[in-house]
Amino acid sequence: MLKVKRNPGKAPRTAKSKPKSARSDSVLDLNSAGEDHSDHEQPTASSDDGFEEPTLSKKTPLPAATNISNPAKKNKFRQNDPSKNVKPPTLEEMKELRDTRNLFHSNLFKLQVKEMLEELQLKSKYTDFIESWLESFTAFTRQLKDGLMERSELEVPLSLPQKASGFIFSKPTREPFLIGAASTGTLLGPKIVVDVALEMPKENLHKEDYLNLRYDQKRALYLTYVTERMRESSEYSQDRFAFNYHANNPLKPVLELTPVAKQVTKHLQIRLFITAPLSSFKPGRFVPWNNNIRPAFYGDEWDEGEEPLPSTQHYNANVLFDLTLAENQAHLDKAFKGRRNFQDGLLLLKVWLRQRELDVGYSGFGSHILAAFIVYLSQQRILHQSSSSYQVARTVWNQLANTDWTSGGISLAPASVQKEDASKKSASFYDVCFMDITGQYNLCSNLPLSLYQRVRAEAKLAVDLLNDMKLNSFPHIFMQKCPLYSRVDNILKITNYSCINQMLMLHSQPRFKYDYAKYGHPQLFQLLTELLQKGLGERVQAILPLETATTAWSVDDKAPVIGKHIQLGLILNPEHAYEVLNKGPAANEDPEGAAEFRRFWGDKSNLRRFQDGSITEAVVWGTAQDSPSKKRLIVRQIVLHLLEHHLQVEGKDVQYIAAELDQVYQLSPWYKIKKLKTKLPLVQDTDAEAVSPHVIRCYDELARQLHGLDDLPLDIVSISGISPVFRYCEPEPVLPQARLVDGRILASHVQRVVIQLGQSGKWPNELAALRALKMAFLIEIGEKLEAQCLLKWAITAKGLLVLKQGFCFLIELAHSKELALLKQEVTEKGVTTYVDNPASRHLERQQYILPKVTGSLHSLHQTHSAFGPTVLLAKRWLATQLLDDGLWPAMATELLVAHLFQQRHAPQAIVAPQTGFIRFLQLLAHSDWNGDLFLLNFNNSWQEQQIADLEHSYRSDRQSYPPLVVATSYDQQHVGRLWTSDEAPSQRVLGHVTRLARHALEIVETSLMSKDLRFVRPAQLFRASNEGYDLVIQLKPDLVRNSLCYDLGSPFVSFGQPNFELPRAGAENRVADIVNQLRSAYSDFAAFFYNPHGGKELAIVWRPPTEFAPKPFKVTEMQGCTPCGNGKVQVLKETLLEDFKLLLKDFYLRISTPEELKREQREHQQPRRYFNHPESSGAPPNKRKVQSESDDAKLEKPVKKKKQLIRNSSVRKTSS
Amino acid sequence: MVELEGYTVVPLRTSPDAKHCHSVYMREHFIRLMDPNKPKGRTLFLLNVPPYVTEESLRTVFSQMGTIEVVEFAAKPGKDETLKWYEGTTEPFSTTRPPFRFKVAYVVFQKSSSIAKALALKSIDLFNSSGECIIKTGMELWHDQYENNYLLDAQKTKALIRKYMAGYDKRERAAAEAAKTSEADADGWVTVGKDGRNAGFEQKESVVGRLENKMARDKKTKELTNFYTFQIRESKMQNIVEMRKKFEEDKRKIELLKQSRRFKPF
Repeated sequence: MLKVKRNPGKAPRTAKSKPKSARSDSVLDLNSAGEDHSDHEQPTASSDDGFEEPTLSKKTPLPAATNISNPAKKNKFRQNDPSKNVKPPTLEEMKELRDTRNLFHSNLFKLQVKEMLEELQLKSKYTDFIESWLESFTAFTRQLKDGLMERSELEVPLSLPQKASGFIFSKPTREPFLIGAASTGTLLGPKIVVDVALEMPKENLHKEDYLNLRYDQKRALYLTYVTERMRESSEYSQDRFAFNYHANNPLKPVLELTPVAKQVTKHLQIRLFITAPLSSFKPGRFVPWNNNIRPAFYGDEWDEGEEPLPSTQHYNANVLFDLTLAENQAHLDKAFKGRRNFQDGLLLLKVWLRQRELDVGYSGFGSHILAAFIVYLSQQRILHQSSSSYQVARTVWNQLANTDWTSGGISLAPASVQKEDASKKSASFYDVCFMDITGQYNLCSNLPLSLYQRVRAEAKLAVDLLNDMKLNSFPHIFMQKCPLYSRVDNILKITNYSCINQMLMLHSQPRFKYDYAKYGHPQLFQLLTELLQKGLGERVQAILPLETATTAWSVDDKAPVIGKHIQLGLILNPEHAYEVLNKGPAANEDPEGAAEFRRFWGDKSNLRRFQDGSITEAVVWGTAQDSPSKKRLIVRQIVLHLLEHHLQVEGKDVQYIAAELDQVYQLSPWYKIKKLKTKLPLVQDTDAEAVSPHVIRCYDELARQLHGLDDLPLDIVSISGISPVFRYCEPEPVLPQARLVDGRILASHVQRVVIQLGQSGKWPNELAALRALKMAFLIEIGEKLEAQCLLKWAITAKGLLVLKQGFCFLIELAHSKELALLKQEVTEKGVTTYVDNPASRHLERQQYILPKVTGSLHSLHQTHSAFGPTVLLAKRWLATQLLDDGLWPAMATELLVAHLFQQRHAPQAIVAPQTGFIRFLQLLAHSDWNGDLFLLNFNNSWQEQQIADLEHSYRSDRQSYPPLVVATSYDQQHVGRLWTSDEAPSQRVLGHVTRLARHALEIVETSLMSKDLRFVRPAQLFRASNEGYDLVIQLKPDLVRNSLCYDLGSPFVSFGQPNFELPRAGAENRVADIVNQLRSAYSDFAAFFYNPHGGKELAIVWRPPTEFAPKPFKVTEMQGCTPCGNGKVQVLKETLLEDFKLLLKDFYLRISTPEELKREQREHQQPRRYFNHPESSGAPPNKRKVQSESDDAKLEKPVKKKKQLIRNSSVRKTSS
Repeated sequence: MVELEGYTVVPLRTSPDAKHCHSVYMREHFIRLMDPNKPKGRTLFLLNVPPYVTEESLRTVFSQMGTIEVVEFAAKPGKDETLKWYEGTTEPFSTTRPPFRFKVAYVVFQKSSSIAKALALKSIDLFNSSGECIIKTGMELWHDQYENNYLLDAQKTKALIRKYMAGYDKRERAAAEAAKTSEADADGWVTVGKDGRNAGFEQKESVVGRLENKMARDKKTKELTNFYTFQIRESKMQNIVEMRKKFEEDKRKIELLKQSRRFKPF
């Protein structure tokens, strides 16, 4: 009931006086009226690409007008409003300001790009050094003399079967010149690599040198000779010399020279290439269809009469690279010299490319292709000479995405050089074709089709990101590191030497051997992709090579043999990857096809009869009922089968990295599912993901029953589940174990359900009465459920507990009036307002927003089936790092992962949970928590303007937001305050998580990219370090329930007897409750850590000693203080410990330091270990010995680091 | 006996052989503006009370000194702090509990003589004669909470609800009755309700806001904007100022980003 006090005497309002004053204003206005207002400008629409070069022509009419009126205006401003004193705008300012406003998005982008380019700008000391170095090197080459190279002290950097003898060196006739980035002015840090080419004179080469790698030998010898002379020369003798392969190409050794000159030695490196003039060989010698390596060279026999010699297009291109280098470079230089905009544009593109690691290795998409493409586009008049750097980058992306170089390709060569049919013919020899200026060399000769498509997809994504006005795309395009391995779903790694040799010897076709001059990597790539592509078909989107750049070796060492291992990344197609069936042709209609199919699949293929009546050959990889995690391994099954069937490579010799970490959300092997009485089809090796649907099905049934209840005073209009399991985000398997014992419901998990009733005007206006009535309704529902559906129930303070099919549900009743009453406040004027407060926010979140978010996340899981399992991995990881809900809210994890899946950071969706997890780690490791806003725009219901406003308020008022800000489009009015708070996660926890994630990523990356290591075992990632904690409170194991998910062991104690006793429903998180109590009372003195998934230890870190120092008496700061003399007081740790003991009475086993615990563990090592699963590495002492040394070393390091982490974080506390 | 800044410091023991105890600081409650609920001369003020101490336990300890009227807690000394402490906890069917942390306590005795006796205490002993702690903690507390506060008995709850709702209805009726009688009070003010002949509009922020908006809109339609030259000039000027502001903002944003070194790609 709202009441207004009104004074009857003074009813008329003051409103009447207002029109009057308005009128008087307008009278005054008339005085100044009369001037024309034709110069009222309309802001002209600007072009979309924000920052064009200042082309004045476009807007001339407008500035003229402003110019004329400017002097007059100036005065008037002064007269009218002397206080404001607005400076009249200049022409440039007007233009710039208008751009700012109209193109806010890209303008910000422009500023960011500007900053980045400034950051990338090469310091003059480097450019000066390069210049002087080249000068001195030219002088050096001039004094070189012709001569016979007799015996070289250095090893020739080429591993070839035969050695060439008697090499006669002729001095170079052409001055060395810069090539690549150094020449086009687009050198990129942090390691600046300056490429210099030295041309072998024609005299050095014979007519016959084109054949059988003779050219390459000469080239290597020439390089060796020059290197030797350089080493002898006093000028270079101090420098560091090393050889390396250019682009992992064993035929292209280069000299890597690190000058000792003090100012540059750290960041500068010079690479010396040896080239040859194009005229050295007969034109047409190296056209793609020629053979330049005879089979006889490798001791093979080839009958030329029967079959023409196989073409060696890749080898030819390899030579042509050297021959055409000078001309191509000259052409590039012409386009880039003096054009800062092109150079900057290329720099931007190079940054983009390098962040994606697409330019690595033999098959990489080198940045020289991009440079040539820019030249091509400007030749085609698609790029204007004066386009800005941004336009250059954008156009290149656009053109990359929209042109196709695969059939016919494109060419830099002028039409006069290039003959139409010839270019067609040469293009047919390569996957991707981009001919150079001479029309002979294909710049993309080594680029496999899949990688090219990948580059295109990335380019398309970049354009899309730029077009998305709701996003500040700059960091996504340029700043974020997205290594290729984190963008593929599965990885196939073959490093076994004998395996590789066997494949190369027996299975690689001879023509590939000649074509690639016996280099292993491309041959293997060819072989494997061909096989896998055929076998996997639609299941896989792309098979990408994952290469690492070769490391340099000393000039005195022998050249290493490379290409003896291969790593392939598979990008799966989510729609088809997990199909259980490969259907072949029908046996009766296409017998040949069927036979072929059978041959391909071997004995896996069977003749099957299908429901539609067809009888066909088919391969079955599983059943439709298999759990999702099992289905995710179908591709692995197929790949391993194909490898074995076709290449005789056994599964143990290869590593197929997929679902390595899925184990952590599996059902604990200690829990025997057989003992559980249930009608549901459950197996022992089930996991959290697989059991979620059971719960959801049961919930659906319950919802149906609730809807169907008769005789309720009000109908139930909406039912929504809000527990994580309804979004597939519950990392512990929820089993149907709940039951009634002695009138009490026991359940390990309670699923929360929110219901709403139909409208009624009779609800009370008082909070307590409303709650009483709600309770009455719940009891009524409970009684009806028992009477009509025979379900057991119990009423609790939090809601109605209902037991159904072994699952326990807690039904809450939501009513909008309760929320309104909680928010209600009466201002001093007597006006009722509704203000958010913590209690109302909590209620709104639980009963109104969470149901919506649950729905959205549920549907997200339906579209991206990897979402759920990724969350499970992420949650498990955080839990095992001893971060519970109070330190890092579980919802934040879910929403961050959802953000990963929603945001388009990669051209394709994440298909494998493991990839999702790695991306999650990347997100944690590389996010700038202070600057990033995580917005989840479900259903795209967030308007552009709203987002811009929000971002603005966020930046200008950062302090009022919590350290981590996550918001969904459903909680716009609470932005950032609903899912996270100032305490969870706090600044310190965020820092801790970032460091943990970086460390975890490091482990993953090294194990992934290394030749020798196996992929990380879950125990390496999913177990926290035990260092850095001050105290450990061990809880009684029989009072704390073990988690049902696969336990990788506690960091403090070894495995004990597991305890799967069912707790009472509604009190299943006993430890969480206790820790919450401890935190609320003692967080000023200590931080508490525990593993929410069945952790039985509480780890404590004291706050820094300053908190415990004596301080003067102050009434408001006496918490926990004891007098310590001199009128001062202090907090004693001992007293607090007594408190902990009191609060944990009956729960704690002992309190000790981690070191003590460890010692004790060692002493009391039980000889019998009941519960060590053979696979689990829970028993580190005996397991670790098996590991290789390098593995051990790696394990050592992290421990130290983590110790530091926690120390650091405590130190930070002191400083803040 | 330790004295500090006018406070008597006594240890708070939870067991007879406790070595490390919290120190509770006691004194007679005295401030200039006395709270009527904490009468002068009869109220004992306790500082640094550990979180687990309950009203009942303090009552048990201090009832030896004389009859106690009330024991109340607050987060810190000050006006209305007690109210804040108990906010939302007193209503039936509320799940809010008072915070669990260090607090201050006010013990109001019936007689002022009890204060002196209390201040002479050697220690506050939270254990009974057999040495058992009188505060429930750990398993015991947990069990107690679950059985008595979490689980409810359906029949009893129903009865409770019926009783409460009956009381509520009565109050509502009385209030409705009062609203109908629109008689002027002593100062000549009349209370206007939603119902009745002279019903006022509801004093809600949304309603008031709507009315105010309407007034502003009305005013706007009567005014001419961008009509006179000076207005146009002014609006243009405004425009420029705004754009400048936005530009400056962007620059600041970049500056901020620059500080966090976000422009180094590698």
